[in-house]
Amino acid sequence: MNTPKKRNFKIEAFKHRVEVDPKYAEKTWKVLEHAIHEIYNHNASGLSFEELYRNAYNMVLHKFGDKLYSGLIATMTLHLKEISKSIEAAQGGLFLEELNRKWGEHNKALQMIRDILMYMDRTYVSNNNKTPVHELGLSLWREHIIHSENIRSRLLNMLLEQIYRERTGEVIDRGLMRNITKMLSDLGPSVYQEDFEKPFLEVSASFYSGESQQFIECCSCGEYLKKAERWLNEEMERVTHYLDPKSEPKITSVVEREMIANHMQRLVHMENSGLVDMLVNDRYEDLGRMYSLFRRVPDGLSTIRDVMTSHLREKGKQLVTDPERLRDPVDFVQHLLDEKDKYDKIIGSSFNNDKTFLNALTSSFEYFINLNGRAPEFISLYVDDKFRRGLRGVSEEDVEAVLDKVMTLFRYLQEKDVFEKYYKQHLAKRLLYGKTVSDDAERSLIVKLKTECGYQFTSKLEGMFTDLKTSQDTMQGFSAGQGPEAAGEGPAIVVQVLTTGSWPMQPSAACNLPAELLPVCERFRAYYLGTHTGRRLSWQTNMGTADLRVAFARNQRHELNVSTHQMCILMLFNSADRLGYREIEQATEIPAADLRRCLQSLACVKGKNVLRKEPMSKDVGDDDAFFVNDAFASKYYKVKIGTVAAQKDSEPEKQETRQRVEEDRKPQIEAAIVRIMKSRRVLDHNNVVAEVTRQLQSRFLPNPVVIKKRIESLIEREFLERDKADRKLYRYLA
Amino acid sequence: MEEDTVKLISAEGFEFVIDKKAAMVSQTIRNMFTSPGNFSETRLGEVTFPEISTPILEKICQYFYWHLQFASGKESEFHIEPEITLELMMAANYLHT
Repeated sequence: MNTPKKRNFKIEAFKHRVEVDPKYAEKTWKVLEHAIHEIYNHNASGLSFEELYRNAYNMVLHKFGDKLYSGLIATMTLHLKEISKSIEAAQGGLFLEELNRKWGEHNKALQMIRDILMYMDRTYVSNNNKTPVHELGLSLWREHIIHSENIRSRLLNMLLEQIYRERTGEVIDRGLMRNITKMLSDLGPSVYQEDFEKPFLEVSASFYSGESQQFIECCSCGEYLKKAERWLNEEMERVTHYLDPKSEPKITSVVEREMIANHMQRLVHMENSGLVDMLVNDRYEDLGRMYSLFRRVPDGLSTIRDVMTSHLREKGKQLVTDPERLRDPVDFVQHLLDEKDKYDKIIGSSFNNDKTFLNALTSSFEYFINLNGRAPEFISLYVDDKFRRGLRGVSEEDVEAVLDKVMTLFRYLQEKDVFEKYYKQHLAKRLLYGKTVSDDAERSLIVKLKTECGYQFTSKLEGMFTDLKTSQDTMQGFSAGQGPEAAGEGPAIVVQVLTTGSWPMQPSAACNLPAELLPVCERFRAYYLGTHTGRRLSWQTNMGTADLRVAFARNQRHELNVSTHQMCILMLFNSADRLGYREIEQATEIPAADLRRCLQSLACVKGKNVLRKEPMSKDVGDDDAFFVNDAFASKYYKVKIGTVAAQKDSEPEKQETRQRVEEDRKPQIEAAIVRIMKSRRVLDHNNVVAEVTRQLQSRFLPNPVVIKKRIESLIEREFLERDKADRKLYRYLA
Repeated sequence: MEEDTVKLISAEGFEFVIDKKAAMVSQTIRNMFTSPGNFSETRLGEVTFPEISTPILEKICQYFYWHLQFASGKESEFHIEPEITLELMMAANYLHT
């Protein structure tokens, strides 16, 4: 193939062969200059756009762009100087208006000039890196008007004065202000910022600093916050009306700093109206305002939170350590719940349900509830009270609500195992005496405990319920087997068979049951052991109740509801009129403490004193004698003889429970240590302690000293050994 | 003269009355009619082009309409006779079309 020869084509620029009149440029420019003058003098209507455009076009085309451009600058400058003079001459308030009017005119003229010189803008300006006509017009305006000595400071002062007047309540021409600030922004962001915004912010800062000083001296915290909020809104409104939107965060931050951040501590701690006062008096609106204002400044919320926390802790501490309160556990817990409700409501309605506040609330409660070692017991007592009385006739939802509240308190407890211990005791009493209002509610709480603490925590509690259910079935089987003839005579018994271990039973010596009861008891034992092999039954006579029909002298008949022990005592009086304390003790073999209590409740409680005691005194002595009180009278047929039962644990009982809890913890701690060491094999002391604490904290907070003792015990029993080189290291021995 | 038409006058005095919308295809003509200061063109609704001859102006007017059609999606060729090309291009530069 033949490659064609390369040929260089050259395209030559088209040459105007028009001979240019040397005076052409001068003449054309005169036309344009005249036109610009006319435009500034509002006389443009006589001009022909086409002609001007054509002249400018030709000038640029014939390389007179320079002349055109510099001529334009000179002409415009001339006019701007005149304008500047007329603005300077404006008096007082007319200054801004004149400036605004001239600015409008200049803008219009500038647009016309730009239109007729469009061809220059398109070609000459872009080819020679000049400023386009419009921008040129703006920068000349900036140079000759805004930055002219006589105008610059006057403009700024006028603007600031207008704003000051508006802040102090006067009405100003917002449209005018808007135009002027718009002009400053149009001249470039730096002009707006340097010539207006910066001084504006400074003046605002000193204005608000002064205002805040003045108000903080004479206003309450709530009023001050209201003012601050109003000012903040006013400033934001100002921005939307006549300032650049970018100024909003700047001016609001000035207000925030001057009004709030600088006075934060003082506001919060203000006497009789500060945060604490608001909390105490439930001033939700003020609290909400404080929250929304303080949220705007750094450290604002943490300031509120800290004050709230310390107040809450202080108050809670008073609450849980006040000896007056400790007298009534139900009241004590109710107070805690009320306090919790109060703060839940405050946080919910005023603090936007802020997570960090909720956490602070939780940690405060955890802190002070655990200050009182009896809190677990009291909470259990509160539940006990609710289940016995409080929840009667209450709708299901309300029951749930109460239980949920109890659960929140429960979560705050460190010593959950102590709670469990008490709860078990109280539950056992409720179940055995049939005192519980609603089985469903009981079960519901157990389910809650289970979800909170796991299966292990509630297995025994659930076992208690199962026992009762099986007992019911057993009793049905038993009475069916008895036949109708047996049921008619003699005492009837209801036996609840309880699994040892599930129930908080102290192994107590069984008392001697009255002879009338023994046959039926024997029959039951025979029946039960006949249906279940390999079991042992023992009677827990300290737990039961009995209904007795009694005929007093004067034909008074009553049915007495008493405890098993009391029943044993009363039955003795079937065969005797007078019994000494020692005789009773001998016949029944009831433990002394219980016996005294029983006798006390039978003889010393006014209105329920079915026995008479000699001598008449409050306490039961060893040598006292007892008689049936023939003068007993009651307007009811059924009389319930309460036991002088210890509602709250007495001091020695408390010690005992405490000790039992400590005992129970030992195997748990050991188990945890072994679990950890089995998987880790080798671990140092501190880590063991930390791990054990972590594993057990859902139940209680183990004491490091106790953990150390358990470790030592395990070493003794050769579960662990100390490392020979490093004594701090433990080694698991399998 | 009606509102939405304009009159373009050539160097020889021929008058072309076309839709304002079509004339606005030229940036220059657009400015003539929209610039704020009451120029004579805006008032009279007519423009005289002393440097554009009749055939060229005619071609330009044809181009305006063709451009509108093209912009609305109807593609066709716009024929230009070679002998008027140079003059036409100069006019286009002037009219910023």
